[in-house]
Amino acid sequence: MAEDNAPQHHAPASGSQHHGAGSGPPGSSGPRAQGGRPGGPAKRGKRNFIRKKKVCRFCVDKVDFIDYKKADVLSPFIQERGKILPRRMTGTCARHQRWLTVAIKRAQNIALLPFAAEL
Amino acid sequence: MEERQYDLIFICRPDTPEPEIDKVISTLEHTATEKGAKIEKTEKWGRKRMAYRVHRLREGFYVYLVIRSSHGEVVKELERRLKVSDVVIKYLTIRLDEELKRQEKLKRHRERRAARRPRKATPTAQVPSAAGGEQATAL
Repeated sequence: MAEDNAPQHHAPASGSQHHGAGSGPPGSSGPRAQGGRPGGPAKRGKRNFIRKKKVCRFCVDKVDFIDYKKADVLSPFIQERGKILPRRMTGTCARHQRWLTVAIKRAQNIALLPFAAEL
Repeated sequence: MEERQYDLIFICRPDTPEPEIDKVISTLEHTATEKGAKIEKTEKWGRKRMAYRVHRLREGFYVYLVIRSSHGEVVKELERRLKVSDVVIKYLTIRLDEELKRQEKLKRHRERRAARRPRKATPTAQVPSAAGGEQATAL
């Protein structure tokens, strides 16, 4: 927590320094860079929301092998239509996503998971 | 040559009587032992709803086998048998030994790291305080 707070405090400070240094173009670029930071959405006027950091569920459980036979484990990672959900939606880490896709495709082949939604 | 491990799942028609399914399993066991492989585990998962329709059937009788063999010829023969069989509507063979080996390796790695962690905790605890000191001097 303490480490998370530190950069947030830093970012506005550096922005204000930019303001003081040049009131022209460099000053305007300062806040824009600050707003673009994913870490510090706290001081953004309208869109004031804090996105919760997604954590790879398999890393939390320390999974070394994703079993294709357990359809109930895999089913949260596919859409209703049968598509595999991307990493950015589920927060799965790259390594586990790689294993996960293989497991899902195997499960699909033996009719444990659907390829596409039924009519 | 090292031993390979395969997972073999096949699905029978849901209306087949159990003895018929047992017959299929026993013939598979026979061909496997003939080819020098060994069936480690046989599990009947029973009637399950399939995720999509196969041969216009919504349900199927799942059977799961674990096969150990030193070569892949067995799989060819077993799959041919399954293809010929009328009661079997779907089958899948997956080679798993390499993934299981990887799993073992990762597990060992994790255990070693867990054993080492208490020693490593102290230097990481010192790092933030050092960084704080730098910030103070910079300001």
